[in-house]
Amino acid sequence: MKIIVLIKQVLDPAGILIRRDKEKMFINREEYIVGPDSKAALEAALQLKDAGGAEVIALSLGKPRADDALREALAMGCDAAYLLNDEAFAAADVPVTATVLAAAIQKLGGADLVVAGRESGDTGAGQIGSRLAEALSYAQVTDIHALTGVPGAIQATRRWGGGYAAVQALLPAVVTVAPEAFPARYAHGARIMNAYREWQVTTWNASDLGLNDAALKPLLVFRGESFPQPLPVGEQVKGAPASAAHELITALKLQKAIG
Amino acid sequence: MDFSFPKEYQLFRRMVRDFAENEVKPLAKAVDREHRVPFETVKKAAALGLMGVPFPQKYGGMGGGEMGYCIMMEELGRICTSTATVIGAHTGIAAMSIYLDGTEEQKQKFLVPLASGRLIGAFGLTEAQAGSDAAAIKTTAVRDGNHFVLNGAKVFITNGDIAGIMTAMAVTDPSLGAYGGITAFIVETDTPGFSIGSLENKMGIRGSSTAECVFQDVRVPKENVLGQFGAGFLTFMKSLDIGRASLGAACLGGAQAAMEGCMEWTMAREQFGVPVATKQSVYFMIADMAAEIEALRSIIYRTAWLIDTHQPHIKEAAICKLYGSEVASRCIHKAVQIHGALGYSRDYWVERAYRDARIAEIFEGTNEIQRIVLASNLFRPYGLRIPS
Repeated sequence: MKIIVLIKQVLDPAGILIRRDKEKMFINREEYIVGPDSKAALEAALQLKDAGGAEVIALSLGKPRADDALREALAMGCDAAYLLNDEAFAAADVPVTATVLAAAIQKLGGADLVVAGRESGDTGAGQIGSRLAEALSYAQVTDIHALTGVPGAIQATRRWGGGYAAVQALLPAVVTVAPEAFPARYAHGARIMNAYREWQVTTWNASDLGLNDAALKPLLVFRGESFPQPLPVGEQVKGAPASAAHELITALKLQKAIG
Repeated sequence: MDFSFPKEYQLFRRMVRDFAENEVKPLAKAVDREHRVPFETVKKAAALGLMGVPFPQKYGGMGGGEMGYCIMMEELGRICTSTATVIGAHTGIAAMSIYLDGTEEQKQKFLVPLASGRLIGAFGLTEAQAGSDAAAIKTTAVRDGNHFVLNGAKVFITNGDIAGIMTAMAVTDPSLGAYGGITAFIVETDTPGFSIGSLENKMGIRGSSTAECVFQDVRVPKENVLGQFGAGFLTFMKSLDIGRASLGAACLGGAQAAMEGCMEWTMAREQFGVPVATKQSVYFMIADMAAEIEALRSIIYRTAWLIDTHQPHIKEAAICKLYGSEVASRCIHKAVQIHGALGYSRDYWVERAYRDARIAEIFEGTNEIQRIVLASNLFRPYGLRIPS
């Protein structure tokens, strides 16, 4: 099975301080990490590789610094990594990103399975998987919590209403994974060393992918940004931890939120 | 001059930090309380290459050099000194002695299983009458055909009872003294005659084991002579020189944890209507910690660089161990004070850190020995010999 995993590098939220009173976000430490959803996607793909053997390719559209995210993907167990970088991609919105990724996947000869995170840790649109599936005419399953490979297809459990549904999709397919369902493995130390010393990340630009300006014209126009309204504070449970926990459980049971 | 860490080391540090936070930390209190080695952590560490960080990949190691090894020890020391001690004694002195002076065959046979974590290593130097005076060992090795027969006892051996392989120093010719009369051996601990005496009931690092190891007619094949015959003292001293840098790195982690813990606590704890972090008596202590920690960090990683680039490092490594252990002790001493009664409670991490820190001023050469090493290196160019 040939699996392509989409990787998005995001600003490490641990280095950000949000000041609601000043309606500003302060970056105390500008460090970039593989987004938690992308890490879960990697884990889901690597579990398929562990189970039945697969070639896992990491693919990222990003700035040159996304090279680090791809090397981390190599360290975690990917077999190859591709960075899509071009000045012309800088203004890419979600539709353009899907176009660029689809072009790259086609250049790679297509895939049996494309795995992405449910949504990215920064913009959080949650659209890439679906748009990419449409662009490639692949089947799609979103927000999956379990994944296994069977001949010619994948079987997945996805969130469905208040519970889960078991689904099967014929390959080729795109799946997006729920980050909480695929806690990522640690990279082996030797693979971390090799990811920088021995292995390569291939970079492709717009002309490598045969994309012209028209294909890269974003649909979205940026008009400005504003701070979201604070979320209303719900019911608060206070007091000693033991009694507060008891009270909370009782309240959740009354609302049938838990069994 | 470029002081930034190469990217592979930055990623490695992030991995080890996650590992320490998620896998080591949940056990740190329990292994201290229950006085047991965290084997489950050691097994997980081995699966990630963390039992052989400094060694080349061709010997089953991670290929991280001393730089990578110090990074791991800092991150482990930040979370659990016991775990750092188990992995440190295994890697930094036991496996290191084989890496430094072992033959290619010995490396394949013994370093590969150690570096990959299939076996745990121990370093057998100290004896009841030979602590700081390491050359005063009484364990003997007598040639008998293709074997050497070892008799004697080692004490205070970290990992002694859990090791599969021990490097041990024994007297092969009493007339020749330290240089010429002492030989290092690689001992497989399942060899008949090797046994464990008492286990130490220690003040700190209780999640590591410290054992008395008894040799009674232990027959070691002559192929297991480590380094040159009669030059075992040098092999062991070289291993200790390198081990000192990483020991200092673990202390750096301990000091860093003390400072971070104090910052977190003093920002949350309010007295007289304000966070205690705003009190000069408190933030001066934290500022002093920060200054010493940064100075320590500089010497640790500069020494790691000296070792990795095969430059002289004996003096710097002694500073790492001496200064590192004392900075850690000073920071944790202040941390107890800053946390007040909470810092004295057995239910809180500060008390464990306080007990754990103390050993670093003692083991792998007391700080007094480090001062001798330093002074000897300072005065030697002027022809002045510092007696031990």
